[in-house]
Amino acid sequence: MTKRSFISALWFCAPFAVLIVLWAILIPYFDVNPRLFPHLTAVVQAGIEGIQDGTLVQHIGASLLRVAVGTLLALLVAIPLGVAMGVSPVVSTFLTPLFRFFSVLAGIAWIPIATLWFGYGFGAITFIIFNAVFFIVTYNTLLGVSTIPLHVRNAAASLGAGRWAMLTEVLLPGALPNIVTGIRTGMGFAWRGLIAAEMIATNVGLGYMLFVARDFYKTEVIVLGMIVIGVLWLLLDRLLLAPIERATIERWGMVQRA
Amino acid sequence: MGVGDAVKNLVIRNLSKTYFDVYAGTQVTAVRDVSLNVPESEFISIVGPSGCGKSTILNMIAGFIPHSSGEILVGGKPVNGPGPDRGVVFQSFALFPWRTVLENVAFGPKMRGVGKVEREKIAHEFLALAKLSEAAGRYPNELSGGMQQRVGVARALANEPDVLLMDEPFASVDAQTRMTLQEELTRIWEAKRPTVIFITHDVAEAVFLANRVVALSKGKVLDEIEVDLPRPRVWDDLHENEQFKSLTARVLQLVRSA
Repeated sequence: MTKRSFISALWFCAPFAVLIVLWAILIPYFDVNPRLFPHLTAVVQAGIEGIQDGTLVQHIGASLLRVAVGTLLALLVAIPLGVAMGVSPVVSTFLTPLFRFFSVLAGIAWIPIATLWFGYGFGAITFIIFNAVFFIVTYNTLLGVSTIPLHVRNAAASLGAGRWAMLTEVLLPGALPNIVTGIRTGMGFAWRGLIAAEMIATNVGLGYMLFVARDFYKTEVIVLGMIVIGVLWLLLDRLLLAPIERATIERWGMVQRA
Repeated sequence: MGVGDAVKNLVIRNLSKTYFDVYAGTQVTAVRDVSLNVPESEFISIVGPSGCGKSTILNMIAGFIPHSSGEILVGGKPVNGPGPDRGVVFQSFALFPWRTVLENVAFGPKMRGVGKVEREKIAHEFLALAKLSEAAGRYPNELSGGMQQRVGVARALANEPDVLLMDEPFASVDAQTRMTLQEELTRIWEAKRPTVIFITHDVAEAVFLANRVVALSKGKVLDEIEVDLPRPRVWDDLHENEQFKSLTARVLQLVRSA
Protein backbone atom coordinates (compact mmCIF):
# COMPACT_ATOMS: atom_id res chain seq x y z
CA MET A 1 0.00 0.00 0.00
CA THR A 2 1.45 3.35 -1.01
CA LYS A 3 1.58 6.28 1.38
CA ARG A 4 -1.04 8.15 -0.63
CA SER A 5 -3.58 5.32 -0.62
CA PHE A 6 -2.93 4.76 3.08
CA ILE A 7 -3.77 8.41 3.81
CA SER A 8 -6.90 8.26 1.65
CA ALA A 9 -7.99 5.10 3.49
CA LEU A 10 -7.41 6.94 6.76
CA TRP A 11 -9.58 9.84 5.60
CA PHE A 12 -12.27 7.36 4.57
CA CYS A 13 -12.33 5.88 8.07
CA ALA A 14 -12.20 9.21 9.94
CA PRO A 15 -15.95 10.05 9.94
CA PHE A 16 -16.77 6.52 11.12
CA ALA A 17 -14.30 6.90 13.99
CA VAL A 18 -16.04 10.14 15.00
CA LEU A 19 -19.42 8.42 14.84
CA ILE A 20 -18.20 5.55 17.04
CA VAL A 21 -16.73 7.94 19.61
CA LEU A 22 -20.02 9.91 19.74
CA TRP A 23 -21.89 6.63 20.15
CA ALA A 24 -19.65 5.49 23.00
CA ILE A 25 -20.13 8.82 24.82
CA LEU A 26 -23.71 9.91 24.10
CA ILE A 27 -25.69 6.67 24.62
CA PRO A 28 -24.47 6.13 28.23
CA TYR A 29 -24.58 9.91 28.92
CA PHE A 30 -28.29 10.16 28.08
CA ASP A 31 -28.92 6.71 29.54
CA VAL A 32 -30.75 5.49 26.39
CA ASN A 33 -32.98 2.45 26.84
CA PRO A 34 -31.11 -0.57 25.29
CA ARG A 35 -34.49 -1.68 23.85
CA LEU A 36 -34.33 1.42 21.60
CA PHE A 37 -30.61 1.67 20.91
CA PRO A 38 -27.74 -0.49 22.23
CA HIS A 39 -24.49 0.52 23.93
CA LEU A 40 -21.34 0.18 21.87
CA THR A 41 -20.02 -2.43 24.34
CA ALA A 42 -23.18 -4.55 23.94
CA VAL A 43 -22.75 -4.60 20.15
CA VAL A 44 -19.08 -5.56 20.47
CA GLN A 45 -20.11 -8.26 22.94
CA ALA A 46 -22.79 -9.55 20.54
CA GLY A 47 -20.20 -9.64 17.78
CA ILE A 48 -17.74 -11.65 19.87
CA GLU A 49 -20.47 -14.07 20.94
CA GLY A 50 -21.68 -14.46 17.38
CA ILE A 51 -18.19 -15.36 16.21
CA GLN A 52 -17.53 -17.69 19.17
CA ASP A 53 -20.77 -19.67 18.84
CA GLY A 54 -20.54 -19.59 15.05
CA THR A 55 -24.00 -18.13 14.40
CA LEU A 56 -22.71 -14.84 12.93
CA VAL A 57 -20.30 -16.71 10.67
CA GLN A 58 -23.15 -18.97 9.59
CA HIS A 59 -25.39 -16.02 8.70
CA ILE A 60 -22.61 -14.25 6.81
CA GLY A 61 -21.68 -17.45 4.98
CA ALA A 62 -25.28 -18.07 3.92
CA SER A 63 -25.69 -14.50 2.63
CA LEU A 64 -22.37 -14.45 0.74
CA LEU A 65 -23.01 -17.86 -0.82
CA ARG A 66 -26.39 -16.69 -2.17
CA VAL A 67 -24.83 -13.55 -3.62
CA ALA A 68 -21.99 -15.53 -5.20
CA VAL A 69 -24.23 -18.19 -6.75
CA GLY A 70 -26.87 -15.71 -7.94
CA THR A 71 -24.30 -13.34 -9.43
CA LEU A 72 -22.32 -16.08 -11.14
CA LEU A 73 -25.41 -17.62 -12.71
CA ALA A 74 -26.58 -14.18 -13.84
CA LEU A 75 -23.20 -13.34 -15.45
CA LEU A 76 -23.10 -16.68 -17.27
CA VAL A 77 -26.39 -15.86 -18.98
CA ALA A 78 -26.28 -12.06 -19.15
CA ILE A 79 -22.93 -11.50 -20.87
CA PRO A 80 -23.43 -13.87 -23.85
CA LEU A 81 -27.01 -12.66 -24.23
CA GLY A 82 -25.97 -9.00 -24.08
CA VAL A 83 -23.26 -9.53 -26.70
CA ALA A 84 -25.62 -11.45 -28.98
CA MET A 85 -28.18 -8.66 -28.77
CA GLY A 86 -25.64 -5.88 -29.04
CA VAL A 87 -24.20 -6.96 -32.41
CA SER A 88 -27.53 -6.39 -34.12
CA PRO A 89 -28.62 -2.72 -33.97
CA VAL A 90 -32.23 -3.66 -34.66
CA VAL A 91 -32.38 -6.18 -31.83
CA SER A 92 -30.60 -3.92 -29.34
CA THR A 93 -32.84 -0.94 -30.14
CA PHE A 94 -35.92 -3.13 -29.79
CA LEU A 95 -34.92 -4.72 -26.48
CA THR A 96 -33.32 -1.73 -24.75
CA PRO A 97 -36.57 -0.31 -23.25
CA LEU A 98 -37.49 -3.75 -21.93
CA PHE A 99 -34.18 -4.20 -20.15
CA ARG A 100 -34.22 -0.68 -18.77
CA PHE A 101 -37.66 -1.39 -17.31
CA PHE A 102 -36.57 -4.64 -15.67
CA SER A 103 -33.30 -3.09 -14.46
CA VAL A 104 -35.35 -0.69 -12.35
CA LEU A 105 -37.88 -3.29 -11.28
CA ALA A 106 -35.35 -5.96 -10.32
CA GLY A 107 -35.07 -6.44 -6.58
CA ILE A 108 -37.56 -6.96 -3.84
CA ALA A 109 -40.53 -6.56 -6.19
CA TRP A 110 -39.76 -10.12 -7.28
CA ILE A 111 -39.99 -11.60 -3.77
CA PRO A 112 -43.71 -12.53 -3.77
CA ILE A 113 -43.58 -14.30 -7.12
CA ALA A 114 -40.19 -15.86 -6.31
CA THR A 115 -41.55 -17.48 -3.14
CA LEU A 116 -44.52 -18.83 -5.10
CA TRP A 117 -42.20 -20.38 -7.67
CA PHE A 118 -39.35 -21.59 -5.46
CA GLY A 119 -40.83 -21.75 -1.97
CA TYR A 120 -39.08 -20.19 1.05
CA GLY A 121 -35.30 -20.60 1.09
CA PHE A 122 -32.20 -20.70 -1.09
CA GLY A 123 -33.95 -20.88 -4.47
CA ALA A 124 -36.17 -17.82 -4.02
CA ILE A 125 -33.36 -15.66 -2.64
CA THR A 126 -30.86 -16.70 -5.30
CA PHE A 127 -33.52 -15.83 -7.87
CA ILE A 128 -33.77 -12.30 -6.42
CA ILE A 129 -29.99 -11.90 -6.68
CA PHE A 130 -30.01 -13.36 -10.19
CA ASN A 131 -32.63 -10.85 -11.33
CA ALA A 132 -30.88 -7.86 -9.79
CA VAL A 133 -27.62 -8.70 -11.57
CA PHE A 134 -28.99 -10.24 -14.76
CA PHE A 135 -31.03 -7.35 -16.15
CA ILE A 136 -28.48 -4.66 -15.38
CA VAL A 137 -25.51 -6.64 -16.72
CA THR A 138 -27.38 -7.66 -19.87
CA TYR A 139 -28.43 -4.06 -20.48
CA ASN A 140 -24.90 -2.76 -19.89
CA THR A 141 -23.29 -5.45 -22.06
CA LEU A 142 -25.71 -4.61 -24.86
CA LEU A 143 -24.92 -0.93 -24.42
CA GLY A 144 -21.17 -1.62 -24.33
CA VAL A 145 -21.16 -3.72 -27.49
CA SER A 146 -23.34 -1.31 -29.44
CA THR A 147 -21.09 1.65 -28.56
CA ILE A 148 -17.84 0.08 -29.82
CA PRO A 149 -16.82 2.39 -32.69
CA LEU A 150 -17.54 0.92 -36.12
CA HIS A 151 -13.97 1.76 -37.16
CA VAL A 152 -12.55 -0.52 -34.48
CA ARG A 153 -14.71 -3.42 -35.65
CA ASN A 154 -13.80 -2.67 -39.27
CA ALA A 155 -10.11 -2.60 -38.32
CA ALA A 156 -10.37 -6.06 -36.78
CA ALA A 157 -12.25 -7.41 -39.81
CA SER A 158 -9.67 -6.03 -42.23
CA LEU A 159 -6.90 -7.62 -40.17
CA GLY A 160 -8.54 -11.00 -40.69
CA ALA A 161 -10.67 -11.42 -37.55
CA GLY A 162 -13.41 -14.02 -38.03
CA ARG A 163 -16.60 -14.27 -35.97
CA TRP A 164 -15.02 -15.91 -32.94
CA ALA A 165 -12.03 -13.55 -32.85
CA MET A 166 -14.37 -10.59 -33.27
CA LEU A 167 -16.21 -11.76 -30.16
CA THR A 168 -13.21 -12.50 -27.95
CA GLU A 169 -10.79 -9.84 -29.23
CA VAL A 170 -13.12 -6.91 -29.87
CA LEU A 171 -16.70 -7.19 -28.59
CA LEU A 172 -16.00 -8.56 -25.11
CA PRO A 173 -13.03 -6.35 -24.24
CA GLY A 174 -14.76 -3.37 -25.85
CA ALA A 175 -17.85 -3.89 -23.74
CA LEU A 176 -15.87 -4.65 -20.57
CA PRO A 177 -16.07 -1.13 -19.07
CA ASN A 178 -19.85 -1.30 -19.29
CA ILE A 179 -19.94 -4.89 -18.08
CA VAL A 180 -17.88 -4.03 -14.99
CA THR A 181 -20.09 -1.02 -14.28
CA GLY A 182 -23.11 -3.28 -14.68
CA ILE A 183 -21.70 -5.83 -12.23
CA ARG A 184 -20.92 -3.15 -9.65
CA THR A 185 -24.37 -1.57 -9.88
CA GLY A 186 -26.12 -4.93 -10.14
CA MET A 187 -24.37 -6.35 -7.09
CA GLY A 188 -25.22 -3.18 -5.16
CA PHE A 189 -28.90 -3.78 -5.91
CA ALA A 190 -28.48 -7.49 -5.28
CA TRP A 191 -27.02 -6.88 -1.83
CA ARG A 192 -29.92 -4.63 -0.84
CA GLY A 193 -32.42 -7.09 -2.32
CA LEU A 194 -30.75 -9.95 -0.51
CA ILE A 195 -31.21 -8.42 2.94
CA ALA A 196 -34.86 -7.65 2.23
CA ALA A 197 -35.49 -11.13 0.83
CA GLU A 198 -33.81 -12.80 3.78
CA MET A 199 -36.17 -11.01 6.16
CA ILE A 200 -39.10 -12.64 4.43
CA ALA A 201 -38.11 -15.82 2.72
CA THR A 202 -35.62 -17.82 4.79
CA ASN A 203 -34.36 -18.91 8.20
CA VAL A 204 -30.66 -18.12 7.90
CA GLY A 205 -28.65 -15.12 6.66
CA LEU A 206 -27.94 -11.55 7.78
CA GLY A 207 -31.41 -10.23 6.90
CA TYR A 208 -33.01 -13.04 8.87
CA MET A 209 -30.68 -12.36 11.82
CA LEU A 210 -31.80 -8.70 11.91
CA PHE A 211 -35.46 -9.50 11.61
CA VAL A 212 -35.55 -12.15 14.31
CA ALA A 213 -33.57 -9.98 16.74
CA ARG A 214 -36.35 -7.40 16.51
CA ASP A 215 -38.84 -9.87 18.00
CA PHE A 216 -36.66 -10.13 21.11
CA TYR A 217 -35.81 -6.42 21.38
CA LYS A 218 -32.15 -7.35 20.82
CA THR A 219 -31.10 -4.00 19.42
CA GLU A 220 -27.41 -4.91 19.81
CA VAL A 221 -27.88 -7.77 17.29
CA ILE A 222 -29.84 -5.50 14.92
CA VAL A 223 -27.14 -2.83 14.96
CA LEU A 224 -24.40 -5.47 14.69
CA GLY A 225 -26.17 -6.88 11.63
CA MET A 226 -26.48 -3.44 10.04
CA ILE A 227 -22.79 -2.77 10.58
CA VAL A 228 -21.80 -6.18 9.16
CA ILE A 229 -24.03 -5.64 6.10
CA GLY A 230 -22.48 -2.25 5.38
CA VAL A 231 -18.89 -3.30 6.03
CA LEU A 232 -19.21 -6.47 3.94
CA TRP A 233 -20.49 -4.46 0.98
CA LEU A 234 -17.71 -1.89 1.29
CA LEU A 235 -15.10 -4.66 1.44
CA LEU A 236 -16.66 -6.42 -1.56
CA ASP A 237 -16.79 -3.22 -3.59
CA ARG A 238 -13.42 -1.78 -2.57
CA LEU A 239 -11.35 -4.95 -2.41
CA LEU A 240 -12.89 -6.96 -5.23
CA LEU A 241 -14.86 -4.88 -7.75
CA ALA A 242 -12.94 -1.59 -7.75
CA PRO A 243 -9.51 -3.23 -8.22
CA ILE A 244 -10.83 -5.25 -11.19
CA GLU A 245 -11.98 -2.00 -12.77
CA ARG A 246 -8.65 -0.31 -12.08
CA ALA A 247 -6.53 -3.21 -13.32
CA THR A 248 -8.10 -3.16 -16.76
CA ILE A 249 -10.22 -0.36 -18.08
CA GLU A 250 -8.59 2.60 -16.34
CA ARG A 251 -5.24 1.48 -17.72
CA TRP A 252 -6.74 1.41 -21.20
CA GLY A 253 -8.09 4.93 -20.76
CA MET A 254 -11.63 3.77 -21.52
CA VAL A 255 -13.01 5.05 -18.22
CA GLN A 256 -11.54 8.06 -16.46
CA ARG A 257 -10.98 7.74 -12.76
CA ALA A 258 -13.70 9.66 -10.91
CA MET B 1 7.02 -8.06 -51.47
CA GLY B 2 7.06 -11.86 -51.44
CA VAL B 3 8.47 -13.51 -54.55
CA GLY B 4 6.15 -15.98 -56.27
CA ASP B 5 3.00 -14.65 -54.63
CA ALA B 6 0.01 -13.50 -56.66
CA VAL B 7 0.31 -10.06 -58.22
CA LYS B 8 -0.51 -7.45 -55.59
CA ASN B 9 -2.33 -5.00 -57.76
CA LEU B 10 -5.72 -3.31 -57.71
CA VAL B 11 -8.07 -3.00 -60.67
CA ILE B 12 -11.29 -1.00 -60.49
CA ARG B 13 -13.70 -1.11 -63.43
CA ASN B 14 -16.75 1.13 -63.86
CA LEU B 15 -17.30 1.35 -60.12
CA SER B 16 -20.46 3.14 -58.96
CA LYS B 17 -22.23 3.69 -55.67
CA THR B 18 -25.77 4.92 -55.37
CA TYR B 19 -27.81 5.03 -52.21
CA PHE B 20 -31.18 6.34 -51.10
CA ASP B 21 -30.88 9.58 -49.15
CA VAL B 22 -33.61 9.47 -46.51
CA TYR B 23 -33.49 13.22 -45.87
CA ALA B 24 -33.49 14.29 -49.53
CA GLY B 25 -35.90 11.49 -50.45
CA THR B 26 -33.96 10.77 -53.65
CA GLN B 27 -31.33 8.41 -55.05
CA VAL B 28 -27.85 9.89 -54.66
CA THR B 29 -24.85 8.87 -56.72
CA ALA B 30 -21.73 9.11 -54.55
CA VAL B 31 -19.35 7.40 -57.00
CA ARG B 32 -19.92 7.47 -60.74
CA ASP B 33 -18.26 5.05 -63.18
CA VAL B 34 -14.77 5.15 -61.68
CA SER B 35 -12.04 3.05 -63.29
CA LEU B 36 -8.52 2.79 -61.87
CA ASN B 37 -5.55 0.57 -62.47
CA VAL B 38 -2.99 0.42 -59.68
CA PRO B 39 -0.01 -1.84 -60.47
CA GLU B 40 1.90 -3.64 -57.74
CA SER B 41 4.12 -1.38 -55.59
CA GLU B 42 2.59 1.82 -56.88
CA PHE B 43 1.61 4.63 -54.51
CA ILE B 44 -1.45 6.53 -55.67
CA SER B 45 -3.21 9.43 -53.96
CA ILE B 46 -6.89 10.12 -54.51
CA VAL B 47 -7.49 13.79 -53.83
CA GLY B 48 -10.68 15.84 -53.83
CA PRO B 49 -12.90 18.06 -51.71
CA SER B 50 -15.19 16.80 -48.94
CA GLY B 51 -18.11 14.84 -50.34
CA CYS B 52 -16.37 14.00 -53.63
CA GLY B 53 -16.75 10.27 -52.93
CA LYS B 54 -13.11 9.47 -52.16
CA SER B 55 -13.80 7.84 -48.78
CA THR B 56 -16.73 5.93 -50.30
CA ILE B 57 -14.34 4.47 -52.89
CA LEU B 58 -11.92 3.42 -50.15
CA ASN B 59 -14.70 1.87 -48.04
CA MET B 60 -15.83 -0.15 -51.05
CA ILE B 61 -12.28 -1.36 -51.76
CA ALA B 62 -11.93 -2.28 -48.08
CA GLY B 63 -15.21 -4.18 -48.30
CA PHE B 64 -16.85 -2.20 -45.49
CA ILE B 65 -19.71 -1.16 -47.76
CA PRO B 66 -21.02 -2.94 -50.89
CA HIS B 67 -20.68 -1.33 -54.32
CA SER B 68 -23.71 -0.79 -56.54
CA SER B 69 -22.12 -1.76 -59.83
CA GLY B 70 -18.75 -2.36 -61.45
CA GLU B 71 -15.82 -4.48 -60.32
CA ILE B 72 -13.06 -4.31 -57.71
CA LEU B 73 -10.25 -6.83 -58.17
CA VAL B 74 -7.37 -7.23 -55.73
CA GLY B 75 -4.68 -9.53 -57.08
CA GLY B 76 -7.24 -10.66 -59.65
CA LYS B 77 -9.83 -11.67 -57.03
CA PRO B 78 -13.13 -9.79 -56.64
CA VAL B 79 -13.71 -8.00 -53.35
CA ASN B 80 -16.45 -9.46 -51.19
CA GLY B 81 -16.34 -7.98 -47.69
CA PRO B 82 -13.31 -7.00 -45.57
CA GLY B 83 -10.22 -9.19 -45.64
CA PRO B 84 -6.54 -9.30 -44.66
CA ASP B 85 -5.40 -8.84 -48.28
CA ARG B 86 -6.37 -5.16 -47.86
CA GLY B 87 -4.84 -3.39 -44.85
CA VAL B 88 -6.59 -0.23 -43.71
CA VAL B 89 -5.22 2.82 -41.88
CA PHE B 90 -8.04 4.93 -40.42
CA GLN B 91 -8.27 8.67 -39.80
CA SER B 92 -9.45 7.88 -36.25
CA PHE B 93 -6.53 5.39 -35.83
CA ALA B 94 -9.03 2.67 -34.70
CA LEU B 95 -6.46 0.99 -32.44
CA PHE B 96 -7.59 -1.54 -29.85
CA PRO B 97 -7.39 0.41 -26.57
CA TRP B 98 -7.31 -2.82 -24.52
CA ARG B 99 -4.17 -4.06 -26.25
CA THR B 100 -0.60 -2.84 -25.91
CA VAL B 101 1.14 -1.30 -28.92
CA LEU B 102 2.97 -4.58 -29.52
CA GLU B 103 -0.24 -6.62 -29.34
CA ASN B 104 -1.99 -4.17 -31.68
CA VAL B 105 0.72 -4.63 -34.30
CA ALA B 106 0.80 -8.41 -33.76
CA PHE B 107 -2.99 -8.65 -34.21
CA GLY B 108 -2.99 -9.43 -37.94
CA PRO B 109 -0.38 -12.23 -37.68
CA LYS B 110 -2.30 -13.59 -34.66
CA MET B 111 -5.45 -13.82 -36.80
CA ARG B 112 -3.43 -15.76 -39.37
CA GLY B 113 -2.49 -18.26 -36.68
CA VAL B 114 1.16 -17.19 -36.30
CA GLY B 115 2.57 -18.34 -32.92
CA LYS B 116 3.24 -15.89 -30.10
CA VAL B 117 7.02 -15.78 -30.38
CA GLU B 118 7.02 -15.43 -34.15
CA ARG B 119 4.26 -12.78 -34.29
CA GLU B 120 5.93 -10.68 -31.60
CA LYS B 121 9.14 -10.84 -33.63
CA ILE B 122 7.19 -9.57 -36.65
CA ALA B 123 5.57 -6.84 -34.55
CA HIS B 124 8.94 -5.70 -33.18
CA GLU B 125 10.30 -5.51 -36.71
CA PHE B 126 7.49 -3.25 -37.90
CA LEU B 127 7.58 -1.17 -34.73
CA ALA B 128 11.27 -0.56 -35.40
CA LEU B 129 10.40 0.46 -38.96
CA ALA B 130 7.91 2.99 -37.58
CA LYS B 131 10.43 4.14 -34.92
CA LEU B 132 8.18 2.94 -32.13
CA SER B 133 10.31 0.31 -30.42
CA GLU B 134 10.26 2.13 -27.07
CA ALA B 135 6.45 2.26 -27.03
CA ALA B 136 5.93 -1.50 -27.49
CA GLY B 137 4.62 -2.13 -23.97
CA ARG B 138 2.43 0.95 -23.69
CA TYR B 139 -1.30 1.30 -24.28
CA PRO B 140 -2.64 3.45 -27.17
CA ASN B 141 -4.22 6.04 -24.86
CA GLU B 142 -0.77 6.77 -23.41
CA LEU B 143 0.54 7.90 -26.82
CA SER B 144 0.23 11.14 -28.79
CA GLY B 145 -1.95 11.22 -31.91
CA GLY B 146 1.10 11.08 -34.17
CA MET B 147 2.47 8.03 -32.37
CA GLN B 148 -0.94 6.35 -32.42
CA GLN B 149 -1.09 6.70 -36.19
CA ARG B 150 2.43 5.25 -36.50
CA VAL B 151 1.04 2.23 -34.67
CA GLY B 152 -1.89 2.21 -37.12
CA VAL B 153 0.49 2.11 -40.08
CA ALA B 154 2.73 -0.54 -38.48
CA ARG B 155 -0.31 -2.67 -37.61
CA ALA B 156 -1.62 -2.60 -41.18
CA LEU B 157 1.80 -3.33 -42.70
CA ALA B 158 2.69 -6.12 -40.26
CA ASN B 159 -0.11 -8.17 -41.82
CA GLU B 160 1.65 -7.87 -45.22
CA PRO B 161 -1.48 -6.90 -47.17
CA ASP B 162 -1.55 -6.90 -50.98
CA VAL B 163 -2.90 -3.36 -50.90
CA LEU B 164 -2.62 -0.72 -48.18
CA LEU B 165 -5.65 1.58 -47.94
CA MET B 166 -5.14 4.87 -46.10
CA ASP B 167 -8.19 7.02 -45.34
CA GLU B 168 -7.01 10.59 -44.58
CA PRO B 169 -4.67 9.07 -41.99
CA PHE B 170 -2.87 12.28 -41.06
CA ALA B 171 -5.88 14.62 -41.04
CA SER B 172 -6.26 14.58 -37.26
CA VAL B 173 -2.67 15.31 -36.20
CA ASP B 174 -0.99 18.72 -35.96
CA ALA B 175 0.78 20.25 -38.98
CA GLN B 176 4.38 19.64 -37.83
CA THR B 177 3.70 16.03 -36.88
CA ARG B 178 1.88 15.54 -40.16
CA MET B 179 4.98 16.56 -42.17
CA THR B 180 7.14 14.14 -40.18
CA LEU B 181 4.62 11.33 -40.70
CA GLN B 182 4.47 12.06 -44.43
CA GLU B 183 8.27 11.85 -44.70
CA GLU B 184 8.30 8.63 -42.70
CA LEU B 185 5.58 7.11 -44.84
CA THR B 186 7.63 7.72 -48.00
CA ARG B 187 10.65 6.19 -46.27
CA ILE B 188 8.64 3.11 -45.20
CA TRP B 189 7.14 2.82 -48.67
CA GLU B 190 10.62 2.80 -50.20
CA ALA B 191 11.73 0.12 -47.73
CA LYS B 192 8.73 -2.21 -48.21
CA ARG B 193 7.22 -1.08 -51.54
CA PRO B 194 3.59 -1.89 -50.71
CA THR B 195 0.77 -0.99 -53.11
CA VAL B 196 -0.88 2.07 -51.53
CA ILE B 197 -4.16 3.93 -52.06
CA PHE B 198 -3.96 7.15 -50.09
CA ILE B 199 -7.11 9.28 -49.64
CA THR B 200 -6.68 12.96 -48.83
CA HIS B 201 -8.16 16.42 -49.39
CA ASP B 202 -4.70 17.99 -49.05
CA VAL B 203 -3.24 18.55 -52.55
CA ALA B 204 0.35 19.09 -51.38
CA GLU B 205 0.19 15.89 -49.33
CA ALA B 206 -1.19 13.95 -52.30
CA VAL B 207 1.65 15.13 -54.58
CA PHE B 208 4.36 14.74 -51.93
CA LEU B 209 3.58 11.06 -51.29
CA ALA B 210 2.45 9.54 -54.55
CA ASN B 211 3.70 8.25 -57.89
CA ARG B 212 0.35 9.22 -59.32
CA VAL B 213 -2.40 11.56 -58.19
CA VAL B 214 -6.04 10.88 -59.07
CA ALA B 215 -8.17 14.02 -58.90
CA LEU B 216 -11.77 13.35 -57.97
CA SER B 217 -14.84 15.56 -57.94
CA LYS B 218 -18.55 14.80 -57.56
CA GLY B 219 -17.86 11.07 -57.68
CA LYS B 220 -15.97 11.20 -61.00
CA VAL B 221 -12.30 10.97 -61.91
CA LEU B 222 -11.21 14.29 -63.43
CA ASP B 223 -7.69 13.33 -64.38
CA GLU B 224 -4.63 11.37 -63.34
CA ILE B 225 -1.28 13.12 -62.93
CA GLU B 226 2.06 11.32 -62.89
CA VAL B 227 4.45 12.49 -60.16
CA ASP B 228 8.05 11.66 -61.06
CA LEU B 229 9.72 13.61 -58.28
CA PRO B 230 12.95 12.02 -57.05
CA ARG B 231 13.00 9.98 -53.86
CA PRO B 232 13.68 10.04 -50.96
CA ARG B 233 11.30 12.95 -50.59
CA VAL B 234 11.75 15.44 -47.77
CA TRP B 235 9.91 18.70 -47.26
CA ASP B 236 13.09 20.77 -46.96
CA ASP B 237 13.98 19.87 -50.57
CA LEU B 238 10.51 20.01 -52.08
CA HIS B 239 9.29 23.31 -50.64
CA GLU B 240 11.45 25.18 -53.15
CA ASN B 241 11.27 22.55 -55.91
CA GLU B 242 9.80 24.06 -59.12
CA GLN B 243 8.47 20.73 -60.37
CA PHE B 244 6.70 20.08 -57.05
CA LYS B 245 5.20 23.57 -57.14
CA SER B 246 3.91 23.26 -60.68
CA LEU B 247 2.47 19.77 -60.06
CA THR B 248 0.70 20.99 -56.93
CA ALA B 249 -0.64 24.01 -58.77
CA ARG B 250 -1.94 21.82 -61.57
CA VAL B 251 -3.77 19.41 -59.24
CA LEU B 252 -5.18 22.29 -57.22
CA GLN B 253 -6.49 23.95 -60.36
CA LEU B 254 -8.12 20.68 -61.48
CA VAL B 255 -9.84 20.08 -58.17
CA ARG B 256 -11.01 23.69 -57.78
CA SER B 257 -12.27 24.14 -61.34
CA ALA B 258 -14.62 21.17 -61.16
